[in-house]
Amino acid sequence: MLRYLALKTGRALFVVWAAFTLTFVLLFVLPADPVDLLFDPAEVNTVPPEVREQVAASYGFDRPLILQYLARLGHALSGDFGTSVQSGRPVVATILDVLPSTLLLAAGALALALAIAFVIALAATSARRAWLRDLLEALPSGAVSVPVFLSGILMLQIFSFRLGWFPAFGDTGARSLVLPLITLAIPVSGPIAQLLVRSFATEFRSGYVTTSWAKGATRGGIIVRDVFRNAGLPALTIAGITFGNLIAGSVITETVFARQGVGRMTQAAINTLDVPLVQGTVVLVAAGFALINLIVDLIYPLLDPRLRAALAAG
Amino acid sequence: MSDLRTAIERATPRRKRWPWVAAAVAVLLVAGGGFALTRGDASTGRSATAGAPVRGGTLQFALIDYQRSPDPQWGTNYAESLIGNNITDKLTWQDPDTGEITPWLAESWEYNKDLTEFTFHLRKDVTFSDGSPFDSEVVKANFDQYVHGDEKLGINPNGAILLPGYIETLTPDRYTAVVRFEKPLASFLQASSFTANAQPGFLSLSTLKLSAEERTDPKKVIGTGPFVYESWQPQVKTVLVRRKGYNWAPPALKHKGEAYLDRIVFNTIPEASVRTGSLTSGAIDATLDVGTTDEKPLADQGFKIIYRGVSGTSIFFNLNSQLFPTDDIAVRRAIQLGWDREAVRKTVLTDSYSVATSVLAPSVPGYVDYSGTVLRYDPEKAGRLLDEAGWKEGPDGIRVKEGKKLVVKLLGISNLVANKPAYESIQQDLKKIGIDLRLTVVPIPDYTALLTKAKTDWNIVAANRSRNDPAVLNLQYGPALGNGSYVTKDSPGIDVDEVTRTLGALELTLDPATRKQYAKAAQDLLLDKYALVNPVYNPSQVIAHADYVHGIIFDAQSRNHFVDTWKSNGK
Repeated sequence: MLRYLALKTGRALFVVWAAFTLTFVLLFVLPADPVDLLFDPAEVNTVPPEVREQVAASYGFDRPLILQYLARLGHALSGDFGTSVQSGRPVVATILDVLPSTLLLAAGALALALAIAFVIALAATSARRAWLRDLLEALPSGAVSVPVFLSGILMLQIFSFRLGWFPAFGDTGARSLVLPLITLAIPVSGPIAQLLVRSFATEFRSGYVTTSWAKGATRGGIIVRDVFRNAGLPALTIAGITFGNLIAGSVITETVFARQGVGRMTQAAINTLDVPLVQGTVVLVAAGFALINLIVDLIYPLLDPRLRAALAAG
Repeated sequence: MSDLRTAIERATPRRKRWPWVAAAVAVLLVAGGGFALTRGDASTGRSATAGAPVRGGTLQFALIDYQRSPDPQWGTNYAESLIGNNITDKLTWQDPDTGEITPWLAESWEYNKDLTEFTFHLRKDVTFSDGSPFDSEVVKANFDQYVHGDEKLGINPNGAILLPGYIETLTPDRYTAVVRFEKPLASFLQASSFTANAQPGFLSLSTLKLSAEERTDPKKVIGTGPFVYESWQPQVKTVLVRRKGYNWAPPALKHKGEAYLDRIVFNTIPEASVRTGSLTSGAIDATLDVGTTDEKPLADQGFKIIYRGVSGTSIFFNLNSQLFPTDDIAVRRAIQLGWDREAVRKTVLTDSYSVATSVLAPSVPGYVDYSGTVLRYDPEKAGRLLDEAGWKEGPDGIRVKEGKKLVVKLLGISNLVANKPAYESIQQDLKKIGIDLRLTVVPIPDYTALLTKAKTDWNIVAANRSRNDPAVLNLQYGPALGNGSYVTKDSPGIDVDEVTRTLGALELTLDPATRKQYAKAAQDLLLDKYALVNPVYNPSQVIAHADYVHGIIFDAQSRNHFVDTWKSNGK
């Protein structure tokens, strides 16, 4: 058990370290002299040499690469990723400022996507007419193929610009969250719904359902009491994996709806070559994924008695 | 099993509600959507009531960028300079039409013959929004930190590029500031009015003591401007409110007293269709960064389109004077003559933009029009020049000389929507005369990274530079400075000393007539004598606003000021 724990934790730490090192290599070694990237491209040739040196020194770019790497790694271990070139604020504070916004959007969209998926699956299972069932079962693949960008703009056109029900941009309370949540939830709900529809159908045809029929249970009662519970577990598993999709989708959603968030911040940081900020964000996201995976790995033995037994034996 | 189930199910008949509920929801959704799409546009009913300015109201303004730091001396994007202009003031104001430098916080000024010492006599009634006075000490403290930075506070030397060779600021008395430079710097006078990126807007002494991080608290960023910060939410919006007691707008604006607006909200909206949609639905009053394809539809709906060309250079093709084949002046001249400007104007640009007629924008003092001479469409002459230089047509139509093809590699930026289509139009035309122009048009970071190898890898670098002063030519092309065409002793047929001298002369005089002469000499040299640049088009800053908005000012750097802005709809 202890070995399992150490192994999984070690793997998580390795992922974070690799993300740090890889971004360092990509950002500092490959493109060009990072000092060049700190100035306005139109003016870079006009910058006096002593100013270049001064600015390079203030970000530590004047030191040998390996020393820079070690110094940055050392600082990063103590939670210091330097200051953003574009704002002068510490990288960690800058990220923490916008993180809640993204987490709220992602978590809300996931909850909504689960709700949508369950409704579609329930409806498809309950539908008795074949054409209606086919239609409902086609919805998930439709949802997956709608680009977030397009559905976001359409949503804005109708509910914001024409009807004026929701604000089109900004972070102003719950009302400004409605359209982004729906936009982001639709594509995410697709795979979950597809899985649910299939497992609902399977469960619906299994023996214990027939028994319930025989006992005189209603169709609705069977679906809610028996099928729902048994078919729901795989959907929850896939919901966890979908988290990655959510983060990627939130970049576009944040841009279309002009919301604050990690996705947009990263995009802006890349566009303006804010090297410390890009590195901080990449490491943070990598740490987030590693942590989620670690938690899943550690929870598995608790949920699954077979795995627990295997680990105890090993 | 299935039969059994069906039998059981049929034995317990129930009413089917599901399809009906679903159908009802579907009908409602379709009806709602249809209603939404057919409903008339609310914004067309508004009427314009221009006349005497009205005080009060909030201007909802949209732009593509956001302010990453509220410190105006730090910011390098358009949102930052634009917002910075409304919370700080400068020593002088440049007339956007004539380029003349007129008073602002400095009532008058003089300079020595060498143009190494500039003496400004300051207004005595100006205060910062924290109540502290504006005087020569403040000017000195600002310039010192602006040029040298402060490593302890994490402040970069932001002004070092604008004020090269800055030595010090002397303060002979409370309202006199003398700024001294190592070398003649005629362009400093224009720099004292500079409103673009990393601008010299004055901050209070209390602000200058703060670190870069502390200056991201907008309440601590104190200026003398017509507005003060109310709040700042990165990525989302910056809110400014009217400064009570403001009474020192540039006299040239003829604006007396405080700003008219109570409040300005700068909303960041990255997506173009959301900006235009928000404008037409009335959620915002005005937006910057209007796409070329949105201009006409918005004008048709009754919105006003206002614009000003970005002052400085046009979008230029800087021709590398050292790299084959642009080291051949015949090739450089053929590129200038070989493309149809009318086609670019018609198919790529709107009325807000114009085809370049010099490397300087028409608004820059000293601009000369070359549309009739060097910068015209003359494919026959271009072909003849290439023939004479020994470029023979190859089997695929591309010319060849000594076994090498006439392939010209261009590096450009994709940040302006008109760039790529304009370059593609030129590419097609040049192909007809046997020049193979290869385009690499990329986002800014890739551009910057590739730019470092421009001297050896790229025949053409396509960009522009914003500075409403003819000395921009020296900054951009001077062999000791930007050296945009890589002129050195290795550049065939080019006298590097002549280029240095001719462009450098622009820093040596402020006499308007002499300066005009020098500017003409510099343009003659760059465009005609050595054909070092092929100007393409003049980029523009375009605003669309509702008809009840009045008095948005474009300054000489094409940045906006809202001190004179008012709304006639009373909101």
